Order: sequence, then C-alpha cells, then structure tokens
Amino acid sequence: MLQFLQFATVRAAMALFTLLMVSLIVFTLMELVPGNCAERYLAFKNTQGSGISVADIEAEERRLGLDRPFLVRWGSWVGNVFLKGEFGDSCILRLNINDLLGDKFLISLGICLTALFLAYLIAIPVGIISASSNSALLNGSLRFVSYLGLAMPNFLLALIIMLVSTVVFGDSMTGLFSNEYRNADWSWARVGDFLSRAWLPVFILGWSATAFALQTVRALMLDEQAKLYVTAARARGLFGRRLLWRYPARHALGPIVNSLGFDLNRIFNELPIVALILTLTEAGALLLEALARSNDQQLAGAIIFLLTASIVAVNFITDIALALIDPRIRKSVMGGAA
Amino acid sequence: MSQIDPTKPNLAETTGPTVSVVETEDAVARRAKEAYFTATQRQLIWARFKKNRTAMVAATILVALILMGLFAPFLSPYDPTVAGRDKDYLNGAPQIPKFCDHNGCSARPFIYGFKTERSPVNLRLVTTVDTEDRRYVQFFVTGDDYKLFGFIPGSLHLFGVDEGYIHLFGTDDTGKDIFSRTLHAIYTSLAVGTLGVLISFVLALIIGGVAGYFGGVTDGIIQMVTDAIRTIPIIPLFMAIAAFIPDTWSSEMRFFFISIIIGFINWPTLARRVRTHLLVERNQEYVLASQLCGAPAGHIIRRHLLPSFTSYIIVDLVISFPYIVLSETALSFIGLGLKDPVNSLGVMLQNTTSADVLLNYQWYFIPVFFFIALVLAFVFVGDGLRDAADPYAGQKK
Repeated sequence: MLQFLQFATVRAAMALFTLLMVSLIVFTLMELVPGNCAERYLAFKNTQGSGISVADIEAEERRLGLDRPFLVRWGSWVGNVFLKGEFGDSCILRLNINDLLGDKFLISLGICLTALFLAYLIAIPVGIISASSNSALLNGSLRFVSYLGLAMPNFLLALIIMLVSTVVFGDSMTGLFSNEYRNADWSWARVGDFLSRAWLPVFILGWSATAFALQTVRALMLDEQAKLYVTAARARGLFGRRLLWRYPARHALGPIVNSLGFDLNRIFNELPIVALILTLTEAGALLLEALARSNDQQLAGAIIFLLTASIVAVNFITDIALALIDPRIRKSVMGGAA
Repeated sequence: MSQIDPTKPNLAETTGPTVSVVETEDAVARRAKEAYFTATQRQLIWARFKKNRTAMVAATILVALILMGLFAPFLSPYDPTVAGRDKDYLNGAPQIPKFCDHNGCSARPFIYGFKTERSPVNLRLVTTVDTEDRRYVQFFVTGDDYKLFGFIPGSLHLFGVDEGYIHLFGTDDTGKDIFSRTLHAIYTSLAVGTLGVLISFVLALIIGGVAGYFGGVTDGIIQMVTDAIRTIPIIPLFMAIAAFIPDTWSSEMRFFFISIIIGFINWPTLARRVRTHLLVERNQEYVLASQLCGAPAGHIIRRHLLPSFTSYIIVDLVISFPYIVLSETALSFIGLGLKDPVNSLGVMLQNTTSADVLLNYQWYFIPVFFFIALVLAFVFVGDGLRDAADPYAGQKK
C-alpha cells in the first residue's frame, strides 16, 4: 500500500512537472505575439476617438502588471491557473476567459472522450477476433479499413459526409444545436437536440482513432499469441475464447491502457478542423477563431493548456490504473526502476 | 508476412532464368546460400521488399505520383495560378476527351466547346455544352512559360487543345485549371514533406544521439522535456505558432516557415527511436574500442553508431512522411498554412465547405483522391520497408 502511494506520488509529481513545462511553453507563445495587452487595449481606445500617448501605455502596463519580468508574470499566471482555475482576461475581447469558455470546453472534452471510448469499444473485440482468425478476407478488409483510417484525415471524411448528406438529404448536418436551442439553457429537450447532432462529430473523430486502435490491438494480440505461455495454456487444454480472454488479452491490455493518452492527443488534433467543417460551437472552434481571426493568444493559450492538461490527467489516471491491474508494474516501481 | 523467408532465397533470382550448366541441386542451393550470406544489408532489404506484393504496387503508384509532382509544369496544360486562368469558364465542369460522338469517330480525341449565357430564371451564368463544336486535343503544345524544378525554363506542355482551353478536372471559381493545380499541389506536398522530414531528422539525430549516447542524467532531463512536448496536441500548437506569420510575408517565406515548424514539432518520435537504439549499442565492444583509441563522442556517434541502423532511420522517415503531408494539408485547410498562389491540397479545399460547392461543383473534390492515393502509397511503402528491414520478420508467424 505504502509502495503504491509512493508510486502515485511520483507519478503525480511528474504530471505536475509536465503541466508546468507545458504552461511555460504556452505562456511563452502568448508572450511572443507582437504588441502587449496594454498597447492593444489603448489602440482600441484610439479607434474610438480618444488620443493616447506613450505615458498612457505605460500607465496601463503598470495597471495590468505587464512591467514585471517575464518569469514573474509566468509565475502569477500559473498560480492563478493552478490555485484558482482563473485564466485571466482576453485582451482582444476584454472578457473573462472562463466566462468565454463556459461549458464549451466540457462539451469538447465530452465529445472527444466519447469518441475515444467508442473507438476502443469497437477496436478491442474486433482486433482480438481478427488476430485469432485465419480468414484472409476478414484480415484483408480490416487492414484496408485501418489504412484508410490512417490515410484519410478526419477532415476529408467530414467533407465527404457533408457532400453526401447535402446531395442525398439536403441537410449538411452541421452545428451542435438546432437554431432554437443554440442559446437556450440546458434542459432535457436541449440535451436531446444536442445528442441528435453530436453523434456526427463523435463518429468522425472516432474514425481514425478506431483505425489506430484496431492496428494496436491486433499487433499486440499477434505478439502475445506467439508466446510460450499461450502454448503452455493450450497444452493444458484451454482453447477458444476462454484461452484468448484469460491469457493474451490480459497481457495486451497494459500497452493499450498506456496508449489512451496519446490517442486522446490525436483526437484533439483533429478537433479544431472538424469543428471548422461542421461549424461546431465548442472549444475547438473557439481556438480556431482565436488564432486564425482575432489573434487572441490569451484565449488560445488557455485552450491549448486545458487540452494538454486533460491529456496529462488521462495519462496519470491510466498510469495508476495500470499499476492497479498489473502487479508487474507495481513491483517494478517498488524496485526503483521508475 | 509469411512469404518473407530469408532462409530460403529465391533460386531463380540468384542463378538467373537460363542456367546452361547443369548443376546438382546441392550446388544450386549452396550458391543461393552464398549469395544470401554475402548480400549487403540493402540487397537483403530489397529482396524481402520485392516479395511483398502490396508494397510493390504501392511503390509503383508512389513513384508515378512523385514523377507527376516533379514534372507537374510539363504535364499540366496551364499555369496553376491566376496567370493561367480561363476567364470564360469559371466553375466549369470537367471536360472528358472523347473519340466518338453522333457525328462519327476521330483518331484524335476531342472535347466540346461551350457557350455561356445568363439564365433567364435567376440570371446566373449558365454554360451549355455545344456538341457541334469540336476541339481537338494536341500533344506537345507550347503554352504558358514555366520553370521545371525551379530553374529549367520551358513552355512545352504535354497536351492542350487547338482553340480555347481543356480542363480535365474542371475549373474553380476564378477559372484556374483544377488538373494543373492538383499536379502542382502534389509537388508542394512532397516539397513540404521533404523539408519537414529533413529538419526533424537532423533534430532527432542530435537530440536522440546525445540522450542515447550519454544516458544517465542528461538522458533523464531530455526525456522529461521531450515527453512534455509530446503531450501537447500538435495541430493546436502548430496553429498557435503559425498564427505568428505576418500577412506581409511572401508565399515562399510562408512555405519555408511552415515546413520548418512542421519539422520542429515532429522530431520527438524519431528522437526516441534513435535514443533507444543508442542506449543498447553504446555498450558494445566496438564502441569501447573506439573510446580507448581516444575518439571523441561526436565521432563515435557519427562514424560507428549511426551507420549501424541507417536502414531503420530511413524506414522511420518514410513512415513519418505522410503525417507531415497531412499536417500541412490540415493547417492550410484552416487558413493558417500556405496561402493562395502556392497550390496545396489544403489551399484547394479551403472553400469547399460552402453549400454552393457541395451541391453544384463537386469536381472540386477530385484532388482528394490523388492525396488519399499519395498518403496510402507512402503508408504501404513505409510498412513494407519496415517489414523488409526487420531481419526477424520472416521467422514470426
């Protein structure tokens, strides 16, 4: 138990370190934008007709704390994010970023996690079956689907679905809500409306994740099946499904759980682009808006940080889960070979 | 996978199809074995690769596509930029060359001319095909000037028509020929991919080399930083960096900058491979021997360690190539990558999400098939190479 706690603490510390590194990268990116918040704010005032001077800018910088050194500002940003969950204000929109994001980030995260979950729900049984079957047709077609999933980026799939649905159904199936629910409060009707539309982004995002997961599961199962302990189990008279689930599947599970974080990473990659095509109104679209149009680095930085933080969280959870289900990992951690 | 069996080389290949001297079976087998044992690493990989039919088909397609990209200016009938536009045929449908119609057949393929009128209903410009007006396809015609590979000037094009324009894949909203643009876009993708791969390759070698060779604390720190970078989703990070590009930059500068950042973000995977391999190799005796001779670390890494797994590095580069191409496409598609005068798939697809295009101008999507083919070909060739480079591949079931 003590050892497990030690393991969890080490992992938590590493996750925290990663988050700090990421926050430094993100913050540096935010700072690299030419012109700081004070200048932009006053430039906006200038367009409204009130003249501004260098002294005004300096006063504004002091008010916003921009005259402090870089590392101090990073420290206070990180402090606010970690302790209060506050991302500060967006200096283009002059709105609080937390208000701006609202439930949009949670919607995105929900869509991505659902896509990931569905991907593995399909990939694990299909991958195991395909690894244990000798049917050339099944394996060939699965291989083809997997490769297509790799080669056809999700945005092309989204475009093709839009093309087909526009031509066939006359509705491009875009957006996350129908018009009457777009700005309504959450209610059962709104949830229903959301679900009736959210399946499309989930499907599109899950598409290549499924292809990747299928490849991984199949390769792992093939590797494990060739090992001696499977032969030994077979010699003891185990066969069929009992054998598969009892031995190789359990061994293959570890690396699969381990790869969840990177799969989520891959899904996040596709999010802004799919959001653009399907005109979704969630964090991916907001990120795109912030970067491509308004050049709002505070908002963009907050979103990238949140995305990365959820990946780090998933990695941490899978590490712990892995230690719980796999005694070998627990032992190796105790041995000090972290 | 089961076809590859290094212990039984193909006898016909090693002895030739017509063996005049009658050899005993033993001698043939011995010769084959000798050829196998004395073969270089490259020959072995090639022999295994050749037996993989899927990979060979993919390699053929890949070579064809690369040639198409390289010779795009010659193969495409028109300049892919606004300079080569056909202002009378905007959003024009693809014109497919025919040999026969109701007026009889001709040995030379032809396309029909067209008339443009305003529709009396909604006043939109409507193009009607005039089946009486034949335009014959000519080969090796002189047309728009171009520079092959960027420096060989020329104006000869593989095909064209005697009057007007020919648009195999139709035209876009400014009258640019989609066929020409597709070919040039393949070239752009290959160029971005090559540059990106080269940059990430150099970075991966340096960082992975240092981490793997020195190990210990250096390795630990580098790994922690690499892991942190790997957790950030790549495309949002790309977007954040690409957003810095000022609008005033020329399209060439944009192109280089995009390639560089794509290269800069893709290195961690390869760096990890290099590191893992070096960690194993650095304990070998030949490294110790070299160290005892007083060779500096850089020399050992370059001359002794890296050549021991060049083939794996090449395979990794081929495998990472399609992902770089796709990153560029995605980035350009959302408007943060390459911009208009440069042709790339992403740029070409930028405006296709509008209902107008989806309903009326579906030929905008033709280039997509070329890109799926390009990426698939790369993936299959990469996989084939990986299997071929693995000396144990044939022994597993």
